[in-house]
Amino acid sequence: MKKQKSFTYPIIFMTVVTAFFVSILSTFSQATKDTIAFNNESELRYKILYIFDILPESKNPKDIEKVFNERVEERLAGRKNIYVLMDGEKEVSYAVPVEGPGLWGTISGYVGLNEDFSTITGIDFVKQSETPGLGGRISEESYKEQFRGIDISNSQDGKFIVSSPQSGSNVDAIAGATQTSSAVEKLINEDLNDFFDELEVKQ
Amino acid sequence: MSLKKDAKKIFKKGILYDNPILVQVIGICSALAVTNRMMNSLIMGIALSFVTAFSSMTVSLLKSRTPRHIRMMVQVLIISAYVIIVDIFLKAYMPDMSKALGPYVGLIITNCIIMGRAEGFAQSNPPVLSLLDGLSSGFGYTLVLLSISLVREILGFGTVFGVDVMPQSFTKWTLMVMPPSAFFILALIMWAAYNLRIKKEKEGVEKK
Repeated sequence: MKKQKSFTYPIIFMTVVTAFFVSILSTFSQATKDTIAFNNESELRYKILYIFDILPESKNPKDIEKVFNERVEERLAGRKNIYVLMDGEKEVSYAVPVEGPGLWGTISGYVGLNEDFSTITGIDFVKQSETPGLGGRISEESYKEQFRGIDISNSQDGKFIVSSPQSGSNVDAIAGATQTSSAVEKLINEDLNDFFDELEVKQ
Repeated sequence: MSLKKDAKKIFKKGILYDNPILVQVIGICSALAVTNRMMNSLIMGIALSFVTAFSSMTVSLLKSRTPRHIRMMVQVLIISAYVIIVDIFLKAYMPDMSKALGPYVGLIITNCIIMGRAEGFAQSNPPVLSLLDGLSSGFGYTLVLLSISLVREILGFGTVFGVDVMPQSFTKWTLMVMPPSAFFILALIMWAAYNLRIKKEKEGVEKK
């Protein structure tokens, strides 16, 4: 017991214990690193395919990877990394990243556009921390499906998405989650405007 | 034989008489946060039971070698190591669950139950008993979480473990989805448990 009162023993003890646990943790983390990276990638792939509405029947990550690699290309457009859906040599549609503040935290996702940017083909969210059951329902099918085939060629003042109850709305807001609904509307409109502005300068 | 007896006593204590949430009222932050769906509660409970059991065991194994004045440091180190293991495991093999629980997995480190068991039991008991003690406290925690989430999920989503149980016409209670509802339900469960305990104690006195 005497040695436990000494100055050096606690330091040595702590060092040994720490080294022991750190080595276990790093081994474990190293062993699962690839699985975790694959999980994250396949989640993004799944969402991009969902936006393009070409999800394969099976939800197996391997099948999704196959379809993704066959038909989707990643590309830099302006300052944004976009995904392009290819049909042979032809570009069919684009998935453009959008991001903005929600009620509790940043909402980020992708918006699908057809080849001449006249129609929104779909939407999915990569990250959102809205209230579960309320604003969090933006991740549910019933909300996201509303964004299929919205014609934006006649939109005025860059208002592509108009949430109800505003007049001329093309998307129903979520009841009880007004702030989230208008946040989604705002971040899509702003980022799409930026995207179009940037491309027109470049073209 | 005596181990079996001890184990029985420990489990009764952890789940009933010393239930960490209902009686000791510790670790309720996560009980409020992750109980909106039963699946979340179940995984959270399993994760916490695992961490409590193994950290108690490890603390107990090291107790005779640990200098007393740095024991807290050692305990936190041990607990965080196990929590990180759980976190990595969920990320690798249950990515959906890991997303649903979000930061709360990492926050298991700060759950008072684990530290409480390490300090209050593992520090002065042998490893196997400490392991069982950790498990029993974890189960006690899990049971309470499950009962809170049962009410919240049925009224808030109309489902149990994601399976629809309520008729289509049922109006979902938005309040039940939000954390404040857990306060009401937890208080009601505590109240019921407290009354039961008082009744039991009275009966015990009368018998004597």
